[in-house]
Amino acid sequence: MIAGVVSAGSEGPNGRDSSGTRAGDKGAGGSRSGSLRADVRLAWLLTRGSDRREWWRVALTALGAALATGFALAALAVAAIRGYRHIAFASGLLDRPGERSGVVLTLVLLLVPVIGFLGQCARVGAVHRDRRLAALRLAGAGAAQVRRIAALESGLACLLGSAVAAVFCVLFLQGEWRQPPVLLWFGIALVAAAVPVLGALVSVLALRRAVASPLGRVRRVPPREGRGPGMPVPMAALGLLFVGLLLAPDTFGGYETAPVLVFAVVIGTGVGALWLTGATARFTGRILAARTADPATLIAAERLRDDPWAAARTHAAVLLVTVVGTGFVGLREVLLTSLRDRGEKMAASPLSFYTTGIDLTGAAVLVALVITLCGLGVGTAESVATRRRGLAAQAAAGVPRAVLGRALLLETALPLAPALLLAGSGGLLIGGWFAGIAHDGSRSVPYTALLVAPAVYVCCLLAAATSLPLLRRSVHPAELRYV
Amino acid sequence: MTTTNGEPSGGDTAPPLLTARRLAKTYGRTPALRGASVALRAGEILAVTGASGSGKSTLLHCLAGIVRPDAGTVECAGERLDTLPERRLSELRRTEFGVVFQFGQLIPELTVLDNVALPLLLAGTARGAAHERAGEWLERFGVLGQQLLRPGELSGGQAQRVSLARALVTGPKVVFADEPTGALDSLAGEQVMGALTHTARESGTAVLLITHDAQVAAYADRELRLSDGALAADGAETSAEVTS
Amino acid sequence: MYRVHNEVMSTRHILLGLLAGGPSHGYDLKRRHDERFPQARPLAYGQVYTTLQRLVRDGLAEVDGTDTDGGPERTKYRTTADGKHELADWVRQISAPAPHVVNEIFAKVVVAILAGGDPAAYLLDQRAAHMARMRELTAVKTAPGSDLSTVLSADYALNHLDADLRWMTTTADRLTTLTAEVDTA
Repeated sequence: MIAGVVSAGSEGPNGRDSSGTRAGDKGAGGSRSGSLRADVRLAWLLTRGSDRREWWRVALTALGAALATGFALAALAVAAIRGYRHIAFASGLLDRPGERSGVVLTLVLLLVPVIGFLGQCARVGAVHRDRRLAALRLAGAGAAQVRRIAALESGLACLLGSAVAAVFCVLFLQGEWRQPPVLLWFGIALVAAAVPVLGALVSVLALRRAVASPLGRVRRVPPREGRGPGMPVPMAALGLLFVGLLLAPDTFGGYETAPVLVFAVVIGTGVGALWLTGATARFTGRILAARTADPATLIAAERLRDDPWAAARTHAAVLLVTVVGTGFVGLREVLLTSLRDRGEKMAASPLSFYTTGIDLTGAAVLVALVITLCGLGVGTAESVATRRRGLAAQAAAGVPRAVLGRALLLETALPLAPALLLAGSGGLLIGGWFAGIAHDGSRSVPYTALLVAPAVYVCCLLAAATSLPLLRRSVHPAELRYV
Repeated sequence: MTTTNGEPSGGDTAPPLLTARRLAKTYGRTPALRGASVALRAGEILAVTGASGSGKSTLLHCLAGIVRPDAGTVECAGERLDTLPERRLSELRRTEFGVVFQFGQLIPELTVLDNVALPLLLAGTARGAAHERAGEWLERFGVLGQQLLRPGELSGGQAQRVSLARALVTGPKVVFADEPTGALDSLAGEQVMGALTHTARESGTAVLLITHDAQVAAYADRELRLSDGALAADGAETSAEVTS
Repeated sequence: MYRVHNEVMSTRHILLGLLAGGPSHGYDLKRRHDERFPQARPLAYGQVYTTLQRLVRDGLAEVDGTDTDGGPERTKYRTTADGKHELADWVRQISAPAPHVVNEIFAKVVVAILAGGDPAAYLLDQRAAHMARMRELTAVKTAPGSDLSTVLSADYALNHLDADLRWMTTTADRLTTLTAEVDTA
């Protein structure tokens, strides 16, 4: 009773938060030495003492880092092959420099969805982590130290992923390639080290606001001003395209393609779709919020209006993949028909050489889509997890779970529709244009490509729907105990 | 007023609106409730007090049909809440009950007006009519001027008065308030409690009020004290007699 | 308990304060006092009369004249310059903090332990009585149209009762330790 009388909030703080503060007290002692070891120990203590969501973040970040390292190393290894070489797999696709540059470029571009995925992973537990870091600051840790600890946390997770990927890559290379150039080993070591370093740097950048003051974002009410449109993903895509073109200086072999122009259209459409997502999110949010009498639509619309760029940030990678996917499906159809028309005699290599190439590219696009959808699923789950106390209070007040679930799906469905429409059109344009070059306008636009955008739309809804079980658990009254 | 350990025994007043008998609930290995019994009459304001961790909130959750007790019964107007399906419970909470928590019951992205209108919208009321009713309640609690703001832009006292409006907008039979003034300073808390009890008495709404603060409990007609998940034999009925 | 501060409060200063508004006679002063301090014990007319005479004796008030409009003869009083000075001094003086050091409830708990009574039962009964009084005061305070002075004096009493109540709750939780201490002493 004493505690109850003394402070109204005595029932408030839950165990997790206080564990963070306790660990923070230890940190104040260690800060004076300023040694890296103390920071590592603190980072480990914080991770060990944290709840399941932190482990999810670590695991997902490690997975993303492993994917990134894997793609980067594969690109590096292929780029390291010099001249003509007979390689046992991929139907001879890796035999000649021309095709190899295409493969390198594809592998490098696969990093785009991986980056989107990593961006979503960083959001997992972000609110809780911000609060914990602010508690560290209150406990006396300096801004630099807190930044170091945060960097170590994500850096170590990335290191785990990149180390695993690097080990497998090295084992594979040793088995397949008898005398790889020494430079390649250096490259592999560089990439394996760069991924965790980049991860740490990005996490420091992302946290610059949280560590600015000891009170940071401790307040429950987030700052009112919405964040920007979140250009990092398209910017990263541009950067990677540049790197890919440097690594693969030759154009695709065999066909009269203009990759730079194609990729410019891809990026342009992606950025356009991204901007459109934000704009339509704001617009539909405003229109629907003013008119609808359906509570689920109202909640979704107001959430869109509140932070229209959140949808854009989440969907950036989805849109890029849709552009590429639609374009690719169109391209594939045109290529295949043209190959069949010309027949075996015209081609320099067997037909299987071309089809394998096309199928591998298709597989790459699918992999990109899967990674992107995982990112979307993680993002939706995180948005539910962050709001779980509020959601539990809503359910307790009698808002049916079905309404909350519908609001969650609508939040993905509403802004994505127009953006996917644009992304699909951009992809079609690429496909149709390519069909035009390839056949002097004699062939019609590849219509199967039309199906890509709707398919991606359905997949996105399914990815968002994976959070519904989490929502069901989040509205459990036990969450109210921490209100 | 005649009660023994919160159970009804006298016949001078109407039968209780909400009755819980020998409730037990355990979270993990921690028993939150151990055989608590309560009866709430229509239009009555009942304060449940006790130390932190005495099971006050769990009692409220069981009575409001938010949590199913492990043992014991909850009955509201002849209906057994502890066996109702979740869908019906949700409807009941939306129409017959109102809830006010210390924090969290307002949706941060909705405007104050939409937050209050939400229970009506859920019941299928048209937007305009819902807004009109919501506006009346906001005016009643002196927060009509804030109707277009988001909950994050309100002071604690304003937010709680908006929560009261949302809890009362459907004309519920019972309002459940869990530490409604817990996060407020005493003056804001006084305004919230004054508004709640005044409106409840005026409209004949029963209130189950959870608090650890005796000054808040003094707004109620009657006090029940919980101690370790059971009712403390502390003469709650004595205090009730003094008032009535 | 909760009326203690009103009894300790100096009636002569209260009357001086009421006189500051202008000359009045004894009955009028009593009526205004009871209106102004609704939670205090009503003043007896005799007490008003003797207090006024003492004020005149000390030169703090003086007779203003007598009224005889229809009824019995009534003496009017007014405050003097000394009276105004004295009142200003009194208003500025702080009150001694924690006036309730000698606590009847505490004494009863200790005596109950010494005499082998049931201090826990006593505390519960006392708690119930306190709560009942707090409910009454809250009802007075929240009644429609209650003026600010009513609200403030009810608040004052409520906060003191609340302090007692908290102390009783804590004491009830510590009774085992307290019993051991008193018994061994």
